[in-house]
Amino acid sequence: MVRPLITFSFLRPIAGLQKNIPLMRGMKMTTENQTFTEKFDLLGCIQCGRCTGGCPVTVRTNLNVRRFVYDAYNEELLDELSRVAEIWDCTACHTCAVRCPKGLKPLEVLIGLRSLVVESGKTQPTVRDALESVFREGNPWEKPRATRSDWMEGLDVPIAQPDEPVENLFFVCCTIAYDPRVQIIAQNMVRLLNNAGVDYAFLGEDESCCGSEVFTLGEEGLFEMIIEDNTELLNAYQAERIVALSPHCFTTFKTRYPDLNKPVIHYAELLDELLEQGKLAFKSGLSKKIVFHDPCYLGKQSGVFDEPRRLLKAVEGVDLLEFERARERSLCCEGGGGKMWVESESKKERLAETRIKDAHALGADVVAVACPFCVLTLEDAVKALGYEEEMRVAEIMELLGELDIEQEKTNSA
Amino acid sequence: MKIFTCIKYVPDTSEAEVKLNPEGTAVDSSRFSFDINDADNYAVEESVLIKEKQGGSVTVVSIGPKQSEVMIRMAMAKGCDNAIRIEDERIAAHDPLMVARVIAGAIKGQDFDLVLTGCMANDYGQAVTGVALAEILGVPHAAYVKKVEIEDGKVKAHRELEGGLMEVVELTIPAVLTIQTGINEPRYAPIRGIREAQKKELKVVNLDDLGVAAGDVDADASQIILEKLYIPEVESKAEIIEGDPDEKAEKLASILVKGGLV
Repeated sequence: MVRPLITFSFLRPIAGLQKNIPLMRGMKMTTENQTFTEKFDLLGCIQCGRCTGGCPVTVRTNLNVRRFVYDAYNEELLDELSRVAEIWDCTACHTCAVRCPKGLKPLEVLIGLRSLVVESGKTQPTVRDALESVFREGNPWEKPRATRSDWMEGLDVPIAQPDEPVENLFFVCCTIAYDPRVQIIAQNMVRLLNNAGVDYAFLGEDESCCGSEVFTLGEEGLFEMIIEDNTELLNAYQAERIVALSPHCFTTFKTRYPDLNKPVIHYAELLDELLEQGKLAFKSGLSKKIVFHDPCYLGKQSGVFDEPRRLLKAVEGVDLLEFERARERSLCCEGGGGKMWVESESKKERLAETRIKDAHALGADVVAVACPFCVLTLEDAVKALGYEEEMRVAEIMELLGELDIEQEKTNSA
Repeated sequence: MKIFTCIKYVPDTSEAEVKLNPEGTAVDSSRFSFDINDADNYAVEESVLIKEKQGGSVTVVSIGPKQSEVMIRMAMAKGCDNAIRIEDERIAAHDPLMVARVIAGAIKGQDFDLVLTGCMANDYGQAVTGVALAEILGVPHAAYVKKVEIEDGKVKAHRELEGGLMEVVELTIPAVLTIQTGINEPRYAPIRGIREAQKKELKVVNLDDLGVAAGDVDADASQIILEKLYIPEVESKAEIIEGDPDEKAEKLASILVKGGLV
């Protein structure tokens, strides 16, 4: 349905927050008094259509982000727009934001509409449970905070102390900490760091969700609280930098935490640096055709394209292939944007299946990724397509874990 | 419509291994997350839905530690108006009759139309508190309620019975309803709502404040003695069925038939 642009009613604030309310710990008062149009700079849109043209989910759902940007001018329509199922199809891959010639972020209009749903309390039960779990336990997976470090069992992991300086402070990610399929990312990282003699520490049970998915699910209030709590926590450590294992935490810290007092890098950047400095060397090889899938949060959102490729190329025997849609044009796996908790109504082929078919056509033995969500979505697609005998999906840390790592020279000296 | 809704702060035992203390008298809860009891969450939603339709107020009543205030604030963010949190180490909390006496002490002497509780708690699973509460308050009750209709000062409660049968009973008001899960879809309490709920009244009281004699609700008064907790031995027997899908299906069907399962 094409809706006419009826009126510019910019007067109604989207969140009627009042001041002078006693706060719970970690809660910050929002200075929220912008209109929806001001907040998302809707008048900056020239309706060129590059957002919709680049949006990967349009092949399987009716989501038309340009339409939402247009309709959201009309504040009277917001309530109705927030009830349209397609606002939950967005994977927050940021293709629309990357392509927008005006520098707008069309996806954030959809997140703003999700916020209206969340503020009304009428979210899908899966979204409700994930958000409540982040609020109570610091992770969206409904797991107890006390078991966050269970993945460390049997490993020698240094735990950071605020008064002990450390070079690399690692941030694990909720999914890697709790999901048995991807815990290996952190476990292999610890083995590699211990072998290479890197100065590092993990946060242990003090670590809490970075809020990446809380933001994209539209829970603004909770996200503000998380930013404040995490900034306080991370700033208290004397670390030179934070190393994130997941691109979602990495990009969220980089782009949405204005007061962090130390830089944040992704682990691929750290390992690339170690390779260059000669501190990391692989003694064995891997005779495989590997295609690297650029995770949206690592590649198009944060510009880390070459480091993971250099890591894979450094392994003897690896034949590194490229997708036709690579780097900025990488096809989203649909794991982000809160999609782990919201199923699309569309029954059309999942983008992860499209991606795996492409990898299969290339003759790849391994689809290498550097993101826990990509592992889960792409691996499901391999199973759904029945390619399990022919190819596998592996996180880079899984592949590196299968190699012999040269012991640090100072250790043996 | 003045409603009291009783909620309990319980450990979620589904995601962590259950371990006992060395004496076998208590569960080691240090690795559990705690949250509102499942059925109580539905009772909160139902009370707010009734209030939204009929007007009135909802007061949350809970026995629990300071940490449970987050759960109470979440209930208030969803629309409950005020709360009473009872904290007193003397209460024999493992005995639902003692718990019912304490809650009755918080409600007695006040006007009310309905008291809603969850039908059963995730921890002890006795399904007694709500029913005992009705007895002590001297009002009728309906247990395992899956639908509530309020007309002409009466409550029509649809109760879930064995085998999926539904029984419809009519109760005079005031009454106690113990709410079954699935009666509604509990809403989300957004953080801004929880922040707003900080303004609502949350009274913290002990037995003395309630005028409940400790000797009526403590371990000596309780007729239940907790002797021992133990973890049942795990036994398992598995048979892997081999063959192509047709053979597997045939073998599986024959096992099920032989076992009298179909």
